[in-house]
Amino acid sequence: MPELIKVDARGMACPGPISALTRAYRKAKNGDTIEVLATDPGFKPDVQAWVKRTNNELIELTEEGGVIKAVIKVTGKRG
Amino acid sequence: MAKGLGIIMFSGTADKFIPLGVLTQTAANLGVPVRIFVTGFALPYFTKNKPEPRFPKEFEDMVPKVHEGMERVKAPTWYDMVKDAKELGDVKVYVCSLMAEIVGVKKEDMDPIVDDVVGAAFFMNETEDYEIIFI
Repeated sequence: MPELIKVDARGMACPGPISALTRAYRKAKNGDTIEVLATDPGFKPDVQAWVKRTNNELIELTEEGGVIKAVIKVTGKRG
Repeated sequence: MAKGLGIIMFSGTADKFIPLGVLTQTAANLGVPVRIFVTGFALPYFTKNKPEPRFPKEFEDMVPKVHEGMERVKAPTWYDMVKDAKELGDVKVYVCSLMAEIVGVKKEDMDPIVDDVVGAAFFMNETEDYEIIFI
């Protein structure tokens, strides 16, 4: 069963949110969805670079009231 | 991007340890292998009796602001960043055997974060396809 994994990285500075995402990603499997909330202003470009580099899919990237929300579909797991 | 990131960690001041932690952890997050070669004045900070890195005198007036800011953003220490990066990705820390001899530290004196004591040839061979930076 695909799971929805939520990561709250609000208040963390760079590279904290990407590290929190990577930590969640290590336990995830293809088909899972990871939702990350972050307030680090660098998170928007960083998460785009991360999905590109790790071959995952960014299905939503929004910002509301200083909180950036990224929704990632896990597709890059090997094996 | 190159196949990996090689970092020659030479400086032993607190300002230089911040990018060491940030770059190592970022590479680990991106799945980029990292090989750190610890030499020069950075070596004592990778031993069991490691001192706290100090900021160089020239930045003295900025230090209180940096400390305050790092506390505010809850920035982890360089050590925790490298340690975390080792859990998150393919990161190895090597200590330069020449410098270890010079300052008289043995393999058993190294902090657990250190993977091995090696020569420069080993490091160069390991990182032949890597981007190398000198800190």
